[in-house]
Amino acid sequence: MSVMPHRVAVTGYGAVTPLGLNVEDSWHSLLEGKCGIDYITLFDASEFDVKIAAEVRGFDPAAHIDPVTARYSDRFSQFALAAAFQAVAMSGLKITDENKFDIGVVIGSGIGGIGALSAQYRVLYEKGPKRISPFLIPMLISDGASGQISIKLGIMGPNFSMASSCATGADALGMAFNLIRHGEITAMIAGGSDASITPIGIAGFTQAGALSKNPDPVKACRPFDKNRDGFITGEGAAVLVLENMDSALKRGAHILAEISSYGSTSDAYHITKPLESGEGAARAIQAALKSAGNPEIDYINAHGTSTYFNDLSETRAIKNVFGEKASRIPVSSTKSMHGHMLGATGAFEALICCKVVQEGIIPPTINLQDPDPECDLDYVPNTARKVAVQHAMTNSFGFGGHNSSLIISRYEGK
Amino acid sequence: MNVLDEVKKAICKIQPGIDESKIVPEARFKEDLEIDSLSKVEMALALEEALDLTLQDAELNDIKAVKQVIELIEARLNVRNAT
Repeated sequence: MSVMPHRVAVTGYGAVTPLGLNVEDSWHSLLEGKCGIDYITLFDASEFDVKIAAEVRGFDPAAHIDPVTARYSDRFSQFALAAAFQAVAMSGLKITDENKFDIGVVIGSGIGGIGALSAQYRVLYEKGPKRISPFLIPMLISDGASGQISIKLGIMGPNFSMASSCATGADALGMAFNLIRHGEITAMIAGGSDASITPIGIAGFTQAGALSKNPDPVKACRPFDKNRDGFITGEGAAVLVLENMDSALKRGAHILAEISSYGSTSDAYHITKPLESGEGAARAIQAALKSAGNPEIDYINAHGTSTYFNDLSETRAIKNVFGEKASRIPVSSTKSMHGHMLGATGAFEALICCKVVQEGIIPPTINLQDPDPECDLDYVPNTARKVAVQHAMTNSFGFGGHNSSLIISRYEGK
Repeated sequence: MNVLDEVKKAICKIQPGIDESKIVPEARFKEDLEIDSLSKVEMALALEEALDLTLQDAELNDIKAVKQVIELIEARLNVRNAT
């Protein structure tokens, strides 16, 4: 017996990003082409080759979370809690004794509580094992954010984290989408969060050769440009409220957008490098297109990290899938402004797609001055563009060879 | 040194926002102060740090109220002062 899959509505979203402490501020920064990358202030980076990052600035946990929870939550969990509270408030979804078992939480994190771990390593070496905080493990575990959200909101359905490196946020939404689509659950609080701008985090990514060595913060992230030389570490959280469409309409929710499909594949090739042909990415894009019934895609929010390999292989993937149509699809990398928010980035970029289909404006790829001749698509260079978008795609790829694509569609009524 | 004041300081550090007037000798950790088993260890760490002493896990397990932690610390300090 086959069951008709359920439609999946987006009814709320929240974000804490290098461009703002909520969705509206972040969105306006994106449309203005404002860059959220600057010199590192979270630690003294003077001895580091890389001195820039996309930090969340001015985040006061006490403004979002009760002081005890804030004290025993790593920065990545604090971001996730703040974003989740915004999202749930916006959705108007009331969590009650009647529905609390039919709602779940999935907050992915690529790295987890690396800040808490780093601080406690110092204690371990300076003062010994007996002085380690009993809260180290709850702060470190990557499901800490997801667990805290369920506790604070009284949500009792499925609750887990997931990790697929830089594709984490997209995969968390994809998992939530599938659970609702297949009728397993009515609503999911889903997204991603990371806060790894720490000495060990920056040193690790630098040694892996992933980060830009460009000293100029606002020029360093230049996706698809000939002079790109790596990504810029960002941080933050983005959380969406996804609901079974019928259930959302029944309670009178305002539908912001619809998630139409999710495709996910692996390269099975290299732990950090994508397949240069873009074949793995292309299969994810194709899977998403097929599952949605091959809609016309009007906008692609690219993974667009500003690394040599990603931007080239992603461009090839888009060209291989869309053929001669590829050059007519606007593609932008908003990472040029918010940096690479790691486990949060896929969720924030999906959120951006929700705004794009709602408002009919595409945020640009900034710093695209001298395009790589091999990257020859329409990357919406430097200035936002007004254009009606029915279906937007967002791509996310991660260390480990993960490739994920989501299609976000404008909600057109019943 | 007033040991109750030291315990108050430790509890305010580990439970930011707590109403300090609730921290009286009779107060029970779990029921009155919302200090669970993890927070109790965190409190002990704060006291160890502030008073330069060591509390054993087994001693902590038996402690249910502020009064008991005061007694434990006073006993420890008396031993230290006597030697």
